[in-house]
Amino acid sequence: MKIQVAGPGCPKCKLTEDHVRQACAQLGIEAEIEHLTDPAEFAALGVFFTPAVIVDGKVIESGHVPTVDKLKSMLSEHE
Amino acid sequence: MVMDLVLAGLKALQHYVATHVLTCLVPAFLLAGAMVTFVRREAVLALLGEQAGKLRSFSLASLSSFLVAACSCTVIPVASGLYYAGAGVGVAFIVLWVAPAANVLALTYTGTILGTEMVVARVVAALLMAFVVGYVMTLAFRHEQRETAMPSPSSEGQSILGRRATILLVLIVISLLAPNYLVAQGPYLHKVLLWLVLTLAFSGYAWFALPREELAQWLRESWWFVRLIFPLLLAGVFLVGVIGAVLPEAWIRDWLGGNSLSANFFATLIGAVSYFATMTEAPFVHTLMDLGMGKGPALALLLTGPGLSLPNWLAIARVFGVRKALVYVPTIMVLGTGVGWLFGNFIL
Repeated sequence: MKIQVAGPGCPKCKLTEDHVRQACAQLGIEAEIEHLTDPAEFAALGVFFTPAVIVDGKVIESGHVPTVDKLKSMLSEHE
Repeated sequence: MVMDLVLAGLKALQHYVATHVLTCLVPAFLLAGAMVTFVRREAVLALLGEQAGKLRSFSLASLSSFLVAACSCTVIPVASGLYYAGAGVGVAFIVLWVAPAANVLALTYTGTILGTEMVVARVVAALLMAFVVGYVMTLAFRHEQRETAMPSPSSEGQSILGRRATILLVLIVISLLAPNYLVAQGPYLHKVLLWLVLTLAFSGYAWFALPREELAQWLRESWWFVRLIFPLLLAGVFLVGVIGAVLPEAWIRDWLGGNSLSANFFATLIGAVSYFATMTEAPFVHTLMDLGMGKGPALALLLTGPGLSLPNWLAIARVFGVRKALVYVPTIMVLGTGVGWLFGNFIL
């Protein structure tokens, strides 16, 4: 699974990445986690609101910092 | 000497922050948090993506910028997203301009510090400039070929704001405006009491009308604004106090006094180059006005201060291309100077 976090480097985006890592660790998912910081790339992915979480090319969260629990349920649904 | 400067900074903190925390900052942060949580921003964007007539799409873009973004850090991805989804270049740059130049937090704070007249002028001037910027950008890049990289966001028939959320937003706005305008002359305690009653009212409404999860989300988002903006505000206001104590009055009167074109241009230049964390521009302008800055230059600085900065130019150039930045930045500077001069001489 490939997880991308999109955010221009703001504190919210860093926290989102932390939450993603925690959720993956708790679920035991091996995922490739990438943090995108270039707004030009966001547009190509269909992201308007940051922070955003993109799993295998699909935007699953945009505009809010997701909680670890919410990420866990979304990630296990995705699998 | 150093001691005097520290004292000046602390005095500014007491003057601009301590006396505004309860009746202005707390409700403003809660309002910004509520907007981020409850406004369905995808629905707003879907409206803007439509290729409607200029007048309609420009007005819509200006108005929705108040709703969509509450600070300048979030606005670049929104504007570039709109642009790549097929919205006109004018619409994208209107969002890019209006959101930081006239966002909720900054407007609220400007109102309590500089008074109603200046905040109304700020809104009107920001909208006026937005329309001109929109037309200039559209005209300058009308022949440009571009690919739209992604589909417009679909709103799936959602309304922009639910009924309960609308009521909550209105109640928060009342709690923000009433203490500051109804009890403008009275003792501070009266303000706080009215604020307390109104705050209990909207908290009670939120408690009974909203699901727990949305309530928690709202408080989390508000807390984010506090965490992101409050430290910058404290540091900025402290600096404002120090700068106010250091700058000789004669300089301010010579360079920024009156409403001449040169004073307006100089104010615009300061605002366009330097970075002002959102909200800090209001105490800065207030301090300079006390030292003799004219009202026109004050307005120009209020608009371009948060609206434009060197880091902002670079980000725009990277996302939209150097040519668009080279048209946008000078346009804003000419307009800022013009608007300051116009308002300063004929309206304020």
